[in-house]
Amino acid sequence: MAAEAVLEATTVRLRPLAEHDLPLLVRWSNDPDVRHWLHRSESPPATLELAWALVEEMRRDPRTLAWCIDAGGRTIGDVRLLKIDTAHRRAELGIAIGEKDCWGRGFGTDAIRRVLRHAFGELGLRRVWLITDADNARGIRCYEKCGFVPEALLRGHRLRYGRPLDMLAMGVLREEFADG
Amino acid sequence: MISEIILQGKRVRLRPVEELDLPLFVLWFNDPEVRYWLSMSDGPEFTLESEQEWYDEMRADPWCLVWCIETEDGQPIGNLGLHGIEETHGRATLGIAIGKKDFWGRGYGTEAIRQVLRYAFGEMGLRRVALGADEDNTRGIRCYEKCGFVREGLLRAYRLRRGEPVNGVVMAALREDWERGARGGRDGR
Repeated sequence: MAAEAVLEATTVRLRPLAEHDLPLLVRWSNDPDVRHWLHRSESPPATLELAWALVEEMRRDPRTLAWCIDAGGRTIGDVRLLKIDTAHRRAELGIAIGEKDCWGRGFGTDAIRRVLRHAFGELGLRRVWLITDADNARGIRCYEKCGFVPEALLRGHRLRYGRPLDMLAMGVLREEFADG
Repeated sequence: MISEIILQGKRVRLRPVEELDLPLFVLWFNDPEVRYWLSMSDGPEFTLESEQEWYDEMRADPWCLVWCIETEDGQPIGNLGLHGIEETHGRATLGIAIGKKDFWGRGYGTEAIRQVLRYAFGEMGLRRVALGADEDNTRGIRCYEKCGFVREGLLRAYRLRRGEPVNGVVMAALREDWERGARGGRDGR
């Protein structure tokens, strides 16, 4: 299910993913510097068809919410809540800033904080977690700023260029999340 | 998918789940002591309809494989599955439940898991099998350790059990460790 709510944050605005975003998603995930950090690094290059199928799948899945991140009048990335589990009141977060000149400028932090506020508020979740490449220092710093705490080191959880790579699981609980 | 493969151990046999097993699953998983450790512990009662739904889902899901665990004399005692199978990254998640309580703590689960690991790391070519367990499930965790699973961390309040948050231990077995163990010729391999 594409996210219906538009979420305003300080420097970014989160809005539902639309069909016209597809070429952008394809360009990002085929950029080697972006792809390096994505699970998709092992998959064939993205195409419009593949991206469309992915977006359709997310729309059909009631456990997924996806937003595009707009900043300074353009779209710079996307953020998602996945595997939203209403019984255990938890979800997984995924984010990618596809425009590299926007890396390290706090847009991701702003977007994540806004999504967490939505998750712990309107959605009534108790726990949001994520997994990230253990060598993704910039990402981990950003997640820590948002309140995520390292919880587990998953040995060889994925392959990058054919080699096993450790991933870090991080979680944030509602009672720990101080917005702003 | 429902596995078509039969895995034969010394005391256990893993065979395809059949529709005929479903009434037994309903019985097992509604037992409060069994249910307590299941991720669905807080959900509605299991019924034949809900188990049929589960069975149809499993059959249709190409990223999972489930088996029924039987004793040597053909008595079903539980089930076991590999879920979220990611061939690209060579990993899967393991789930097991021994539904017949009088078979708890007698090594049946351990042997069943060892059979599945051999299959996962061998024929399937996986590199990593992970699982999550309630932090206070000491019997389960001991069994997983015997099978070669190593604790990787603790997910805080990862689920609700009887309405209360419970921490989850993440454990994983890696093919390279398992192969070293197998060469050492441990029991049940």
